[in-house]
Amino acid sequence: MTVHAHRAEIRLAGSGGQGLITGMHILFRALAIEGKRAAQSQSYEPTSRGGFCYSDLIVSDDSGDYPLATGLGMVAALSQIGLDRSLALIKPGALLIVDERLVPEPPRSGFDLHVLPMAARAVEVGSPRIANVVALGALAHLGRLVPREVLEQAVRLETPPKFADLNLAAVREGWGLVGARVGV
Amino acid sequence: MTTPSLASLHGNRACAAGAIAAGCRFFAGYPITPSSEIAEQMSRELPRAEGVFIQMEDEISSLAAVIGASLGGVKAMTATSGPGFSLMQENLGYAAMTEVPCVIINVMRGGPSTGMPTRPSQSDIMQTRWGTHGDHPVIVVAPASVQEIYDETIRAFNLAEEFRTPVIVLYDEVIAHLLESVVLPQRDTVPTLTRKWASGEETTFLPYAVTEDGVPVMARPGDGHRVHVTGLTHTPDGFPTQRPDLAAKATQRLLDKIEFNRDRIERNETFDLEDADVVIVAIGIVARAARRAVQELRSAGLRVGLFRPVTLWPFPEEALREAAARAKCLLVPEMNAGQLALEVERIVGPDRVARLNRIDGEPIAPGDIVRRIREIAA
Repeated sequence: MTVHAHRAEIRLAGSGGQGLITGMHILFRALAIEGKRAAQSQSYEPTSRGGFCYSDLIVSDDSGDYPLATGLGMVAALSQIGLDRSLALIKPGALLIVDERLVPEPPRSGFDLHVLPMAARAVEVGSPRIANVVALGALAHLGRLVPREVLEQAVRLETPPKFADLNLAAVREGWGLVGARVGV
Repeated sequence: MTTPSLASLHGNRACAAGAIAAGCRFFAGYPITPSSEIAEQMSRELPRAEGVFIQMEDEISSLAAVIGASLGGVKAMTATSGPGFSLMQENLGYAAMTEVPCVIINVMRGGPSTGMPTRPSQSDIMQTRWGTHGDHPVIVVAPASVQEIYDETIRAFNLAEEFRTPVIVLYDEVIAHLLESVVLPQRDTVPTLTRKWASGEETTFLPYAVTEDGVPVMARPGDGHRVHVTGLTHTPDGFPTQRPDLAAKATQRLLDKIEFNRDRIERNETFDLEDADVVIVAIGIVARAARRAVQELRSAGLRVGLFRPVTLWPFPEEALREAAARAKCLLVPEMNAGQLALEVERIVGPDRVARLNRIDGEPIAPGDIVRRIREIAA
């Protein structure tokens, strides 16, 4: 008879062009290094220059499992529209990480909410374009998804060598971010 | 080395990788959402494998070029979506009639017409079977995961070669754009088949001879055996006929070569079927949703199982009859207005068959199926 598979549903939510898909490819690779199976999907619309965009990762030990989100347990949001359009799919009590500046109106209650200055730290580290990797560092740490060294290994494998140092700095910045914790 | 390697692969790229592993060395196509990555990948891979990639002016010429390449002896394919698949119908019939092995990938999107290019759908189920005119054989496989896209694309090439017929690989946009963990065999361990080539006496050779398994051997152009390719109804020597007895025989052999070899073509998967009161019949991404629904409903005490045709056409009739034997009800969830349900109703009778349809461009979720089965069970 069937046994419920261990299943985790993770989303990077934001707007087109923020590197959400690349972000999930890095996490996919990190989990694969740890021997875990997963399925990654994303919004499939002409939104590469703005508009709602998401990238999901379903980690499951049943390879035939449903590969799309049904109830998200961990979400990092890098824009208000990204959060707003994802809310209906987020489970009560889920880990929810939102950017301090880009998500001005986070939900007041119901989630394990962390408001972090991810975009601002990305700029400090060197580029606003690496907010996705900062978010990934925070998500992996707070969600206890993979050890930091494994995430760094995955970053080296999934990003252009030219930007390796920048991306690795972003991971560390995100990992180290423990922001003002509000809600639950 | 024969160790399989664990990788992560994108659905459409798995299709291209499977094609290359199966020995495909010719691709002609007109890129179309949501199948474009197949053409993109083949345009990179084929030159490296000493193959040929051609971007054609449309889908009619794409399949024509594929047929030509295959007649020349090369394993060939094209990839498209609904609008392009519609244009291919004429040449699909030609390939079936002239018994040219070829593989056509159809990644389904919302229709009719240009419909919803980026949204998933399953509305070409009947078109793959009946889209081209005339009584014709066809094989359609319907993978439900990235792993299966890879495996079934390889099998599609083998079936095309073995039965000298077009084979369609049919899947939806969701599976096409998933990145998923897969286990890939080392390329030299992939079992590949090649059509039977004509050998022996050239003067008495018949290009459409009646053979034991119904599949004629093929003349390799330039080898000396006579090549005769025609879409007109033809006798074993290749010449057109309208004599009733000969015409009937010619068409019947085309149909029989699939019908009599069902055991080598059919494939299905079952999940929790043993004691099931409700049997879900689904393909593609919907079968994945159904599998989760089965688990949810089982943990709530409902006896539900899943029957998934992997070979969609010819439909695994006997296997479904067996699976449905003790079921009180069958549910057919599908992303169209009701196509797979027609076949299920034909096989098990309409009384026990319930439907669940979505035509809004959204995939059917596990929750949709759970709710529908609770309705039925109530």
